[in-house]
Amino acid sequence: MPALTLDRDRFSSFVGRPLSVEEMAKWLPWLGVDTDEIGPDYVKIEFNPNRVDFSSYGGVARAFRGLMGWETGLPKYEVKEGKIVLKVDPTVAEVRPYVVSAVIRNVKLDYDTVRELMEMQEDLHWGVGRDRKKASIGVHNLDAVEPPFAYTTSAPNEVKFVPLDKTEEMTLQEILEKHEKGIAYKGHVDWASRYPLIVDKLGRVLSFPPIINGELTRVDSRTRNLFIDVTGTEPNAISRSLNVLVTALADMGATIESVRVGYSDHVLVTPDLTPQQMELRVDYANALLGLKLSETKTIQALQKSRLDARRISKGVLEVLIPAYRIDIMHEIDLVEEVAIGYGYFRLKPTKPTTVTTGREHEVSAVANYVRQIMVGLGFVEAMNFILANEVDHYQKMRRKAGKMIRLANPVSTEYSIVRNDLLPRLMKNLADNKHQAYPQRMFEVSDVIEINEKAETRTERRLHVACVSSHPTANFTEIKSYVEALLANLDLKNWEIKGTKHPSFLQGRAAAIYVKGRKIGVVGEIHPEVLNNFELENPTSAFEIDLQRIIKTTR
Amino acid sequence: MAELRENEQKTLLALERLRGRGPVDQLVKVSGLAHAAVMRAALSLTTKKLVRTHERKQTAIALTKEGSYHAKKRLPERRLINSLIKLGGEASVDDVADAAGLEKKFLTIALGWLSRKDWATIKKKERVLKSLREPLTGNDEKLLSLLAEKEPLIVEDLSQELQKAVSLLKKRRLVKVSKKTLRELELTDAGWDLAEKGIEIVEEVSQLTPELIRTGRWRKAKLRRFDVTAPGPIIHPGKIHPAQQIIQRVREIFLEMGFTEIRGSIVETAFWNFDALFQPQDHPAREMMDTFYLAQPRKGKLPKKDVVDAVAKTHEDGWITGSRGWEYTWSADEAKRLILRTHTTAVTIRYLAEHKEPPVKVFSVDRVYRNEKVDYKHLAEFHQIEGIVMDKKVTLRDLMGTLKEFYLKLGLKKVQFWPSYFPYTEPSMQSTVYVPELKTWVELCGMGIFRPEVLAPLGIKYPVLAWGGGLERLIILKLGIEDIRLLYKNDLGWMRRTPVCQR
Repeated sequence: MPALTLDRDRFSSFVGRPLSVEEMAKWLPWLGVDTDEIGPDYVKIEFNPNRVDFSSYGGVARAFRGLMGWETGLPKYEVKEGKIVLKVDPTVAEVRPYVVSAVIRNVKLDYDTVRELMEMQEDLHWGVGRDRKKASIGVHNLDAVEPPFAYTTSAPNEVKFVPLDKTEEMTLQEILEKHEKGIAYKGHVDWASRYPLIVDKLGRVLSFPPIINGELTRVDSRTRNLFIDVTGTEPNAISRSLNVLVTALADMGATIESVRVGYSDHVLVTPDLTPQQMELRVDYANALLGLKLSETKTIQALQKSRLDARRISKGVLEVLIPAYRIDIMHEIDLVEEVAIGYGYFRLKPTKPTTVTTGREHEVSAVANYVRQIMVGLGFVEAMNFILANEVDHYQKMRRKAGKMIRLANPVSTEYSIVRNDLLPRLMKNLADNKHQAYPQRMFEVSDVIEINEKAETRTERRLHVACVSSHPTANFTEIKSYVEALLANLDLKNWEIKGTKHPSFLQGRAAAIYVKGRKIGVVGEIHPEVLNNFELENPTSAFEIDLQRIIKTTR
Repeated sequence: MAELRENEQKTLLALERLRGRGPVDQLVKVSGLAHAAVMRAALSLTTKKLVRTHERKQTAIALTKEGSYHAKKRLPERRLINSLIKLGGEASVDDVADAAGLEKKFLTIALGWLSRKDWATIKKKERVLKSLREPLTGNDEKLLSLLAEKEPLIVEDLSQELQKAVSLLKKRRLVKVSKKTLRELELTDAGWDLAEKGIEIVEEVSQLTPELIRTGRWRKAKLRRFDVTAPGPIIHPGKIHPAQQIIQRVREIFLEMGFTEIRGSIVETAFWNFDALFQPQDHPAREMMDTFYLAQPRKGKLPKKDVVDAVAKTHEDGWITGSRGWEYTWSADEAKRLILRTHTTAVTIRYLAEHKEPPVKVFSVDRVYRNEKVDYKHLAEFHQIEGIVMDKKVTLRDLMGTLKEFYLKLGLKKVQFWPSYFPYTEPSMQSTVYVPELKTWVELCGMGIFRPEVLAPLGIKYPVLAWGGGLERLIILKLGIEDIRLLYKNDLGWMRRTPVCQR
């Protein structure tokens, strides 16, 4: 989750009242943020990715004022009409079609605010921009360049400029190949014949979206006026990102000024901070929250959440949503705003009146019978991951690798496939426990997954049981007694144990288990080569049974 | 008088035969018992005041390597004086040594002792020896020859003269000395009395046998009394895995609360794991960094067309749900991708799609997967608990009440609820519980009411309360372990140590 460290004094100045760290820690969680760390003069919060407006002091402060009742209703933001023009060249349509823009005047920046601004951009890139694909932001020192600006394209080797934090001029091509941001984000543009570019009147490069800005328009603590561009592939995403950003800057005391974005067929004046409108049925909110709030109380709660509302008909409110609240997409989201404004801490738990009787799953029931029997036989239950690897699963077991369920993106070589039987992991468990006292007897009753082309997921989950007995006198006779004790106590009758060949077991000491003519498992003495492979020294006998077959056979 | 055990009786009898006193070694021979058995009997007989134990220090001597050489060849000074006498009583040192065949390395020593023992004089300038008399055999020589016959010798058993020679030979490093404690037992008066009354040895039985029971011979047999305080061999019982025990308890709680257990596929289509839960296809959580995708098999099948279409439309523009949707073009291909499910909610939503009539109360405690780097806090494969209530008039407050009861059954009395966010619930909540053992608040389950964008495409008409969370955190809290990786290592040492009873 994205995080923000709120310095007490600075946050107090944004809220407009002196706050203690204790007060901050007490009340911030009721806004839906986590207090990650509470320091002597700061509180570090984590906020959910849908609330990108919490990525700035201003954003948290306006919500905080509302929650405390110090300032409620819609925050007002004025957009002054500006004269600056951003002309959109039609060629951008093929690579990154949309752009919106704003000018910010008289911003007071210091080291902290510049950093905050950069972090806010990153949070927006991630939360709204989908890692810069849908939307990416460029913030520039307006006074270093000369309007009007143009959003255009250029061939990969046509234009050179000094990218941010560098001293050498590079072509767009070179940036994609060598610059760390170019390497990271080239996928968004490198397939196109011409790359997007924002330039000023003199053709100087402000930015190569969504990759990197130019060094020319670097923003630092001396910067007073900003030019902001947001480009992307989805018009709503870029407008919303711009709205979150400019309102946060306005909360720092700056003035928002509009930019005329000139497409070939129309002109957009951005940013557009007109509140979104949405209807809320008071009954709907009350029914879900378990409350009986009147229309007035509901409106008050919404106002504490920094929204506004008016009654338009009986039981129906028209809610105004500020432009930075880009997370609200359905009436249900307003219900949560009512709850937050009302205060989650005021919600008293109630018991639902739904009466039902519970029932355990048949597979769990069988697994538990097996557990009871195996524990009675003196075995310790092991729990292993379904994730496995080919070496343990096939090679060490002397088996040829068959068609296996394989991960596309394994996190380690230890876990690259999905197991289709349990025994290999139990052998690994024995190998890991060599220093423990013998005899060692372990079992596992758990899931394996098999390929089944007919199934919706092309796979089938099955319950198996496997067990190993390892000690100096372990042998076939012993394990056969155990497996028959299990079968008998599972209320199976007429099972047959017939000699079989199995690469993991000693020939002549391996048998298949049949119930009603269907093979359900294997039992025997583990092949000494398998023992060597796992570096085990004690004779080991084992069995494995597909319980799913039994569940089907008996019922 | 306390009853005597078989070994005690045998020891007493042996002592009587040795006329009331004897060293342990001898008692071992006479009684036929093992050394340790005699020692144990001696200890208990002493406590019963039937015997006294005497301890004697004993010094044993044996020849060193040089000592046994001289014992065979005789001492070097003796060899010199003998050959000097043969040479007429006066001769040069070299001649004498030659005649004696004395090794060079012993010459100096031999000359030294000749003069110290006053057997001969030496004129240093001419290196001429002159014998004074034919010397008698010294005690040192006697001891040496005794040792040549029998080793080791007990110093305390030797005559006083020979005892004096011990230190001489020890100084010359011809013998080595070792000390040991010798125990002797002696009958006390009470012991004598008992012995004189006559001891009839009754065979002691350590293992009661079917034979003894059946024949009734156990009546005559003396059943050996065991030292019940002696440690016995350790036995490890078979047991259910400690984590499974807690899983079972959680399942029981759900069952007690009237929930029905559901179970579903671990390999899941992205459709049911994400799309049906209104998680947009370009959402960061769906990226390879968080989710395990399958390379083989790669794609599954989608459900009925009307369901797929409704889900697709809801993602794109909200369909008829009143939502603005996620505003992108939904891809069926992306939804077909097979993954290892990231939550059990995939099973829940499948179940709800088939069971639309209220009330529905279901739960699962089952495996889920995250493509995460494994460390002491994180596993790539773990368990999730999930509970669902669907009914006509259930509310967010009901959800809180249900959770409170659930936690209470787990022994967690203090609960707090906070606003939170999950992509498929709204309103959403996070709960923290106070763990008295740790004196701290811990975040456990998240919860909320399923969004209309989730319910409408599947035709579900009533509110669905849902809560869930990882179970391992609770398991390690309950078991008091710090490294989550220990849980599924199946370390027999840990499993054998961990009590079955966990409260």
